[in-house]
Amino acid sequence: MEQRLANTWHMTINEKKFIETALSKNIRVDGRSPVDYRQLTIKFGREDGSSEVQLGETHVIGFVSGQIIQPYRDRPNEGTLAIFTEFSPMADPAFEPGRPGEFAIELGRLIDRGLRESRAVDMESLCIVAGKLVWAIRVDLHILDNGGNLIDTANIAALAALLTYRKPECTLGGENGQDVVVHDPEVREPLPLIIHHMPVAVTFAFFNEGDAMVIDPTHKEEAIMGGRMTATLNSNGDVCAVQKAGGDGVSLSVITHCLRLAALKAVDITSKIKNAVDSYNTARALRKVKRHTSLVAPDITIPDSVMKDNQIGQLAEHKAQKFKEESTKTFDTESVVGIPKETDLFNKKNINFIRKDTDSFIGGPSNWDPYSQSKPPNFVRSSQISPGSSTVDHKQEARTMQIESNSEETKSNNASSGLSRTSSMSQQRTTPKSLKDAVKPKSERKNRPSSASGVN
Amino acid sequence: MDGQISAPTQATSLFDQTVIPGDIIADLPSVANLRVGSGLRQDCFELLATKVGKLRYKKPNKYWLESSHKRYDPSAEDTILGIVVGRKSENFLVDIKSPSLALLPVVAFEGGTKKNIPKLEIGSLLYARVVKAYHGTNPELSCTDASGKAAQFGPLKEGYMFDSSTGLARMLLSTPTCPVLQAFDMQSFEIVIGLNGRIWVNASTPSMVVLISNAIMASEFLSASQQANMVKELTDRLQACCSVR
Repeated sequence: MEQRLANTWHMTINEKKFIETALSKNIRVDGRSPVDYRQLTIKFGREDGSSEVQLGETHVIGFVSGQIIQPYRDRPNEGTLAIFTEFSPMADPAFEPGRPGEFAIELGRLIDRGLRESRAVDMESLCIVAGKLVWAIRVDLHILDNGGNLIDTANIAALAALLTYRKPECTLGGENGQDVVVHDPEVREPLPLIIHHMPVAVTFAFFNEGDAMVIDPTHKEEAIMGGRMTATLNSNGDVCAVQKAGGDGVSLSVITHCLRLAALKAVDITSKIKNAVDSYNTARALRKVKRHTSLVAPDITIPDSVMKDNQIGQLAEHKAQKFKEESTKTFDTESVVGIPKETDLFNKKNINFIRKDTDSFIGGPSNWDPYSQSKPPNFVRSSQISPGSSTVDHKQEARTMQIESNSEETKSNNASSGLSRTSSMSQQRTTPKSLKDAVKPKSERKNRPSSASGVN
Repeated sequence: MDGQISAPTQATSLFDQTVIPGDIIADLPSVANLRVGSGLRQDCFELLATKVGKLRYKKPNKYWLESSHKRYDPSAEDTILGIVVGRKSENFLVDIKSPSLALLPVVAFEGGTKKNIPKLEIGSLLYARVVKAYHGTNPELSCTDASGKAAQFGPLKEGYMFDSSTGLARMLLSTPTCPVLQAFDMQSFEIVIGLNGRIWVNASTPSMVVLISNAIMASEFLSASQQANMVKELTDRLQACCSVR
């Protein structure tokens, strides 16, 4: 008993009285106005469908996964959506491992109702074969830190994860045309879910028997609040769900006032989520294009001979710095260099092998091939001018092959890590160039042959 | 056992430096009557660091480590802020952010006898002194100083309490006055700082209390001039808000 007392969080009478008195004068302990949200940060993980949301000190991770199952009998052409919550004991001393407590279940139900009843996620698009196979989407929400207002944070995490999740493409095929073929994400670009609108939860806390109301309560405010109400709305002003589980009674005017406030907040939060998801998608698309570049490069056996030694040193330094930055970012979107799966590219034989793979490569954004247009980047140009790999010394050859090697994987088979860094850096340097080059005006194109011949 | 490499009897190179657990601070046969403080452990003839922190030395024989944590390691003669969480026969059970609850004898108040036990509710905030603190046992507290006088110990009324790290508490208690407290020189407020990382503030208006508490919480990693600027900025913002209202 004593140990349990030692490990619980205690609130003093002084704090309770102070927070209540301050709220009667519309002053909040952290200096916010009663209708302000704390700072919202939305980040994404490496995989599609994983989000990390921080609202002030509250920290929640969302993860979406999909599985193919048999549909429910009364809904043969709809997929399913399930929300699971995990209240980690590291979030709050009051959370115990094992069976979810009452609040954990309430949180899960609230988010589930907001998404399901409002038909935010399109269920019929999750159907593969009516009556036989449908997608079951599962959203896992992990609470990492309880700083107050878990409902809103978990809701945003669920939305962000659902908006960035991609399910593998399925087609009917096989011998009898009835089998479902689930395509590998490398082969066919996975598809996003169809989300019609974004139901955003806004939580209100009531104090002093309904006299004072605040939005986005902190942990301390939650400990002394008289009652709580959550309103889930979308940016159109449609009310998706309202939840008030016990606590102090509030008058109708207060409730309508809260709903109006929630509508304003929902618009604000929706735009923040949209911005975060858009930047994630742009980064993802860029990643796809670059990966395609790396797979095409093996076609060229002659390396970028324009690079000088001092440039190599600078690039190595720059790459080392990028490594440092990337290692400190735990949960950031993947930056520049793509990760081709083929790492053993030292032999020429492999190059021919890879050439075939690139022909069969189908993808979304990578369908746009800058090299099929008439403006390939510098190194391609120079290589075309000087055919015959016999003139190239072996060191440069090794460098080309290492351009494709995975620079981000920790285990690298390269002879000298410095060399790989420089080659990957050259890849990095050329790939931004390649996108730019694709848009260079015609006037500059005339300079190319002269510069290339200068190289030779 | 390769820790920080330094000349065998010369540890001066490490003074005021940050050390990590396992670093060997000094070889000791030369020092008589050694006083080893928190964060250090004596191992035969070597002083080892057991925490991350700055090594401090006071002539002729005192060594200790200054570190900052969110939990509190009780040590005797520290003044702390505790929350009453229960009563157990002859003691109040008090939470002081240490691994185990502390015990405050019901008579450990000025003029305290079995007849006039103070009525402390659960959730009362106390300013107390650590009398005994040994590893493995519950620490013992007292609301009197060594001679038995109250000396400002005891329950605190009104005001607002917040948590911070032990390092911030020590910084606020240091002399000369910490810049963030210096910046509030013109205002009138009460403040009690517990070495266990708890701070209590009281002022005439709630907005002043909120201002001071937020300024202190934000000042932990700022330099002196940054602290002064931050306080000025917060005060200006508060004035602007008040004038609008």
